[in-house]
Amino acid sequence: MNKLDHLPSKNILSLFMTCGFPTLSQSKKVFHELLSHQPDIIEFGLPFSDPMADGPVIQESSKIALKSKITTKQSLNLIAQLKKGSDKTAFVIMCYLNTVQKYGIQKFIKEIKNIVDGLIIVDLPFEEEKPIKNILDKNNIHLIKLISPMTDQKRSKRLLKEAKGFVYYISATGITGSNKLDYQEINKNVLALKKQTKIPVLVGFGIKSKKDVMAISKNTKADGVIIGSALIQKYFDLKMNFTSYIISLRKFIKEVKI
Amino acid sequence: MKNYSQPNTLGRFGEYGGMYVSETLMPLLLDLDQSYQKIQKDKKFHKELEDLFKNYVGRPSALHHAKNLSAYLNGPKVYFKRDELNHTGAHKINNCLGQILLAKKMGKTRIIAETGAGQHGVATATVCALFGLPCYIYMGSKDIERQKPNVFRMKLLGAKIIPVESGSKSLKDAMNEALRDWIKNVRDTFYIIGSTAGPHPYPKMVRDFQSVIGKEAREQILKIEKKLPDYLIACVGGGSNAMGLFYPFLNDKKVQIIGVEAAGKGPKTNQTAATMTSGTPGILHGSYSYVLQDNDGQIKEAHSISAGLDYPGVGPEHSHLKDIKRAKYYGVTDKEALNAFQLCSKLEGIIPALEPSHALAYLIKAFKNKAKGKTIILNLCGRGDKDLFTAAKAIGFDADE
Repeated sequence: MNKLDHLPSKNILSLFMTCGFPTLSQSKKVFHELLSHQPDIIEFGLPFSDPMADGPVIQESSKIALKSKITTKQSLNLIAQLKKGSDKTAFVIMCYLNTVQKYGIQKFIKEIKNIVDGLIIVDLPFEEEKPIKNILDKNNIHLIKLISPMTDQKRSKRLLKEAKGFVYYISATGITGSNKLDYQEINKNVLALKKQTKIPVLVGFGIKSKKDVMAISKNTKADGVIIGSALIQKYFDLKMNFTSYIISLRKFIKEVKI
Repeated sequence: MKNYSQPNTLGRFGEYGGMYVSETLMPLLLDLDQSYQKIQKDKKFHKELEDLFKNYVGRPSALHHAKNLSAYLNGPKVYFKRDELNHTGAHKINNCLGQILLAKKMGKTRIIAETGAGQHGVATATVCALFGLPCYIYMGSKDIERQKPNVFRMKLLGAKIIPVESGSKSLKDAMNEALRDWIKNVRDTFYIIGSTAGPHPYPKMVRDFQSVIGKEAREQILKIEKKLPDYLIACVGGGSNAMGLFYPFLNDKKVQIIGVEAAGKGPKTNQTAATMTSGTPGILHGSYSYVLQDNDGQIKEAHSISAGLDYPGVGPEHSHLKDIKRAKYYGVTDKEALNAFQLCSKLEGIIPALEPSHALAYLIKAFKNKAKGKTIILNLCGRGDKDLFTAAKAIGFDADE
């Protein structure tokens, strides 16, 4: 069974966190905290040296994780360990293609099979996905589709034709120098996507607070949200005090779980 | 080899190249690819570009018989393709003019670029001044420090320089930041990539614009020598000057092609930029090609005394040419390049940039007392003005006075 096929019909919560951040052992504690709230999805970010599609906060978390010399193998082991006893949450890995390629595509998929429900490869566009998607399909792992405001309807129709799991709608792109969410535009695009697919549409990028989550829920037809940078930012806000960080994560996740 | 026709429509040179970018950029690249295909059939565009090449850049660049260096080698007859005489001092301007004309056609109103040595930054700032477009240059803070004259040039030309503090603070990181800027500002911005690297269509597009170098060199050598050269030599960082020289000769099977990479402190050390001699295939900046990486696929920091070659990746077409053995690639060290830099200055009265000094170093190393009666074209792709302080420091000359 793939947990992504059984997501709730409204207010889906997906939490993104970088593996090995700040250190491998602390990372385990962070994920335990996240999992204790039973979010619908957790996205495990595999650190990469050149995360060109990520903003400064996630970049910094990757850098810190890599400084403590985390390897792909260690990240995958961590995810496998966390799987035990967390049967409420769907597991998704988010990474860059070079990480998978270097590990060996077959080997990577073999090791995440039965642990991970979905895979997001940020820099693997539709045009290049076929060989990897074929293997993932055979192993019942969904290759999650990213859709941006730049994706026109003709293209999204092609992308979503065989999409499974959920749609990751990148909300805050293309808005120069502004992090403000434009709910009207988001809703317009989400509605268009929902006409093309039956799987849930989640909105990600730029969601920072309970207020944002409530507003997405109230003002758009999106099925849920993805929160990433805001979870990591707290670590820096708290001057890297790990104990306070865990407490603030607890408080924040309780707030955004609506 | 059949007639060479790479890349395919998906931007593949053999197995290399492609478009490995996020969905935020993908529609844009497809649009860029279409616009580029369209413009290639546009006679007015070609006429405009030719006119700029002739009257703004000063093309064709000369083919100089380097008699003194040839005599010193006691081997082949060496010709310099003198792209260092171009306006702005390097080959980079060829590509920038092509791309800015395309940006204009596409209605873009803001230009961004990355730069390592600053030559591509200067060339981009120059064409932006010429066409009246705002220009933002991403440059590693380490490169800003070692390429001060070019930083000042860019500022004079009206560009805004954005220092990049991430990673190794050099070319790779500047490119990451430029790509991030592009993702944020997709609607109005055109990204002028300076090398044959990055996602399709850039490696093809940059090669096409730079191939004016090889086309001219081919005509010039046929006129002077009445035959094709036996060897071509060029330095390779991302590889645009080299592809520009090599491309028009790829079907001339007898012409041997040599690319020279920067091996920094040595190809077996951790301080190298010799991607094809020390690296393995991987994905960086949107394309599949040789990269310097560790066992986990983390990209390593490159090292070279030459900021223009200080890049842990290489254009995908070079990876293809290496694998099909149409070109051979070698590394030379910082030290060898510095020696060649001085030798060329003394023998030919031409102060080369540190980038082509690598090509010169290989020439001196591999052809001394060899290949008599053969002819070689070496792409002297940049002049050394920008490197005077770096070179002085490395040689131990106090240039501060």
